[in-house]
Amino acid sequence: MKLSFGPEVDQFRREFVSWLEENRPTDEEIAVDPPRSSADIPEWARRWTRRMFDAGWLVPGWPPERGGRNAGPVETLVYLEEMTKARVPRTTNPQGLGIVAPSLFDYGDERQIREYAMPILLGERSACLGMSEPGAGSDLASLSTRAVIDGDELVINGQKVWTSGANYADFCFLFCRTDPNAPKHKGISVVLVDMQREGITVRPLAEIVHPDRPDLNEVFFDDVRVPIDNLVGEVNNGWAMAGGSLAHERGMVWLSSVMGLEENVSRLLGEAPDALARLSPHERGVVVDRIVSSYIDSQAARCLGYRGFAKLVRGGSAPEQALMKAFCTESQRELSLVAAELTGDRAPDLGDSTDRTGRGEGSWLERYFGSFGGTISAGSSEIQRNIIAERVLGLPRA
Amino acid sequence: MDLEFSTEEAELRDNVRSVLAASCPPSLVRSIFEGSGDAESLWKQMVDLYWPGLAIPEPLGGLGMGYVEVAIVVEELGRVVAPGPFLPTVTQFAPAVRSLGEDRHHEHFLSAVASGELTGSLALAEEGAWEPAAVRTVARHTGDAWRLSGSKSSVLSGAPAFDELVVVARAEGTHGLDGLGAFVIPWASVETTSRRVIDPTLPLVDVRLDDVEVPEERVLAAPGAEHVPAALAVVLEEATAAVALSTVGTCRSIFESTLDYAKVREQYGRPIGSFQALKHRFADLYLSLERATSLCYFAALTIAEDDPRRSEAVSLAKAAVGDCQRLMAQDGLQLHGGIGFTWENDLHFLLKRAKCGDPLFGSAAWHRGRLAEQHGLLEVSA
Repeated sequence: MKLSFGPEVDQFRREFVSWLEENRPTDEEIAVDPPRSSADIPEWARRWTRRMFDAGWLVPGWPPERGGRNAGPVETLVYLEEMTKARVPRTTNPQGLGIVAPSLFDYGDERQIREYAMPILLGERSACLGMSEPGAGSDLASLSTRAVIDGDELVINGQKVWTSGANYADFCFLFCRTDPNAPKHKGISVVLVDMQREGITVRPLAEIVHPDRPDLNEVFFDDVRVPIDNLVGEVNNGWAMAGGSLAHERGMVWLSSVMGLEENVSRLLGEAPDALARLSPHERGVVVDRIVSSYIDSQAARCLGYRGFAKLVRGGSAPEQALMKAFCTESQRELSLVAAELTGDRAPDLGDSTDRTGRGEGSWLERYFGSFGGTISAGSSEIQRNIIAERVLGLPRA
Repeated sequence: MDLEFSTEEAELRDNVRSVLAASCPPSLVRSIFEGSGDAESLWKQMVDLYWPGLAIPEPLGGLGMGYVEVAIVVEELGRVVAPGPFLPTVTQFAPAVRSLGEDRHHEHFLSAVASGELTGSLALAEEGAWEPAAVRTVARHTGDAWRLSGSKSSVLSGAPAFDELVVVARAEGTHGLDGLGAFVIPWASVETTSRRVIDPTLPLVDVRLDDVEVPEERVLAAPGAEHVPAALAVVLEEATAAVALSTVGTCRSIFESTLDYAKVREQYGRPIGSFQALKHRFADLYLSLERATSLCYFAALTIAEDDPRRSEAVSLAKAAVGDCQRLMAQDGLQLHGGIGFTWENDLHFLLKRAKCGDPLFGSAAWHRGRLAEQHGLLEVSA
């Protein structure tokens, strides 16, 4: 155990920080043209992605031809730390960069990599992930959107829901059923679908906070025809890609949640003295202890994250990430609630809401409601607990 | 930061764990609880393995390692509810002598700790208060000796007999952190009352000092010496983190025992651990355990590397361990069902040990209050 990763890593950190200072988009650039969804790429983001790609700072763990520099896991972690600390969005299309592109490198053919994966890395195209359906949420393998082979085409019918960024994405990495007779995990394929194709209807879903800038969508597929060449990997082998994410960075997805949590807790501590003064004396003690709990959680999350990361570097397993996912998102929710209640009679007031990049995310109460996006999406807290119990702790399935 | 054991650290842990599996089985713990055994042969073995001298410098006969190694041993001792003088001697007495005393004290006392000739403890708390500022025991200088009078509570002893005691006292008429000093006195020279406690592996005594004479060579730090408050803070950090680490080890044992039981105990034709109501509780228990463990390791590291965050890290660890033991003892007993409620089952040794660490060196509530204070949440002017 050591508090520091050593002088070589410190040198790497300094190198990145100084590059970042010189090349990052300015806060003003971002504020003028914020991304409107998680697959929208404003002009500044296109330039920024390209600049990172050219300098080998887009995905440091990858080789230079894919926007990296063959960095090791510790360096990648340091890179993410500094990127988050500087509050620079690494991408405005996280699903594209984090899941779709790496899955295509693993499973796609040359043309798919050229036409779909590389444009993501160059900031030219954005992708959404077509997974959840009205009848397939936590139980994703029950999905029923059908793709039927018709000559050299696939004909797609069905509906997706909660599709982040579908309202701005250039294409969809779509999970659909190609063999309805096979066991449910074995009849699923992935197909690349350009969102401009005929028969696709995208209906944005206004969310409970900031309904004016929706990111989630319903996507309807009505006899959508796609060349069969757009099948990713083998037919009926789509389930293998369902858990797919940037393998190099899988052990580090917690970092941005932890840093977000720390940022929020320091904001909470900053606001606390004035807010506490507005509360009645007998109210304060109760609230103070809850603030302390949130502070402990934020510090524990950081330590837990680094500990899990250290295990991963030593060849440990990834399921422990389930622990981080549940812990960070629930801590964020609790923190927002404590902070909202701390504001007393001001809690109902709406806050500033400007963009999706972490600035002006609204009042604490709005953020509290917004935090359920974390505890529900990408495997709800309940699913994470099942994963912990079964895969980490080895408890038997029912 | 790298918050996982290095190869050498993992080897030490494995080594300690296998020694304790053989030398501190549940039957030994049971014999302590039932009053028929003692920790002497276990302590002798620890001495043979040089554990008391782990963090004592090599010139004084120790192994010259650091707090991380001490932390590893302490956590393992907690896992098996080990009785004996290790905790007070290595994590209280030795740091007190090291931080408060001078070279001559180090040579005299620390080499004796390293060689296993000497056991000791720390008498700080008074009437339940662990902060040095609350000390009321008085030291008077008469002739060429000091004389101590007062009462100390909850001194961790390591029965049957202890050799030395570091006593914190203050010059008459001083307050707060002013005028504090520290003395080493022979255990035999004080009047002790052994408390009847629910966990005899953490034996506690209350101490009365009735004009106890201390010769000059046993004055670690004269009352009012400038370094005392900072040195005491260091001692408290090491002692507090050790109690937290020991408790987290105990909690891990409760967790493992309960988890194992849920995998084999069948009702309605299936293991009870296959029911989702229990699965989710186990996930929460595991989370609480890992939350506390991570903060304990972080605290140990900040102490080992003398990082400025050490004071806060220790409070975070003690507070998180408090949350953990509360949940773990409660669900551990509940999920074992009736069998865990019996004297015959070994679970209660763990449950009691997990509980009894909390009040030592500041309860979880005390440390939460301290965190609140340090973050300016208590000085609110309306």
